[in-house]
Amino acid sequence: PQPGPRSLPGPALSVSPLSPGWLPALQLVRRGSKAVTRHWKAMHFQRQKLMAVTEYLAPRPAIPPRCLPRKKEPRQEDNGYERLLKRQVEEAFRDNRMIAVCQFNSMPGEDVVLMRHYLRKHNIEVKFFLNEIVRPVLSQSKYRNLLPLFVGRNILLVSREAKVKEMLRVLKGVPQINLLGACIDDTILSRKGVESFARLPPMEAAQGQTVGALTFLPSHTSSLLQRGSVYLTALLDQHIQRLQAGSPAQAAPAQSSGDL
Amino acid sequence: KKMASKIRVVLRPVKSIAVRFCPFEPNVESTRKFLGCINHKKIQATNRNCEVTADVRHDGSEPLVDVMFADGDRLIMKGANLTTIEMLTALGSRCDAKELKEEQKSKKSN
Repeated sequence: PQPGPRSLPGPALSVSPLSPGWLPALQLVRRGSKAVTRHWKAMHFQRQKLMAVTEYLAPRPAIPPRCLPRKKEPRQEDNGYERLLKRQVEEAFRDNRMIAVCQFNSMPGEDVVLMRHYLRKHNIEVKFFLNEIVRPVLSQSKYRNLLPLFVGRNILLVSREAKVKEMLRVLKGVPQINLLGACIDDTILSRKGVESFARLPPMEAAQGQTVGALTFLPSHTSSLLQRGSVYLTALLDQHIQRLQAGSPAQAAPAQSSGDL
Repeated sequence: KKMASKIRVVLRPVKSIAVRFCPFEPNVESTRKFLGCINHKKIQATNRNCEVTADVRHDGSEPLVDVMFADGDRLIMKGANLTTIEMLTALGSRCDAKELKEEQKSKKSN
């Protein structure tokens, strides 16, 4: 059969397409395969040429974009969610006496739950916050020196009482959490500071020690001042005893000199 | 642009890793991330005997990673100017080299 379009004789427009027995005016036939095939069919040569000519060429800027100075990303508006989280962070810092920052390396879930349980027994809460939220809050509050701690994955352990010993014991049992630093009673402590804080004696003992240290010097001064008269009375007492042992008749004049 | 957590390190020839840093210094980010990646499940699973210790100090010393290998070698990485990916790839390449050596040795003896 000859390749190329083959037109039928006779008018094709007078008969509507839907009536039976109508064949299209032009039938493209080549090699017997239909228009829709299961394999990739080669395009007609003219079509190939057209496709090659009309291929998409991406517009290339004269200066590649990596040579230009980077455009500052326009600051996104404050989410309500972000604001809520920031408020929570501020609350956490305000309400709690002890805030400890620890590095959180990945831990199996059950261990996290167990650790939370043990800490909750001592009234210590475990909080996760994102660094992007914590950093602006801290930079505006007075805890500016805690800023370098908040890099990477961290958790915050917050508590109203300063139960440092129990916290350290729990954290020792969990190797994947490393204590970086803490802020106890508005004082920033490093890890060593936290450990020495745990070893401090309780408040009453500390107060007693301070009072004892403070009163040591005045008591020393008073004993120094009184040393002269105490020495004199001791000497006179000894004199009296010797006189009494020697001659009891001379006790009266010795007593009058002792009463001075 | 690889993600640091995607790098796989086989820790079998490693005996212990000690990571030392000072969190109040500004140059510890890569060392802390390195510690976080090393503690990942999959890397820890390659060698359960490897002890990873983190030493948190406050003396202004620079961040240090000290790796002791089972055959006595020691790798010290000063993380102040290194990125996490560099440290992980360095450790990974050395571990692979040691693994290859061990395999060759075992093949020779067998």
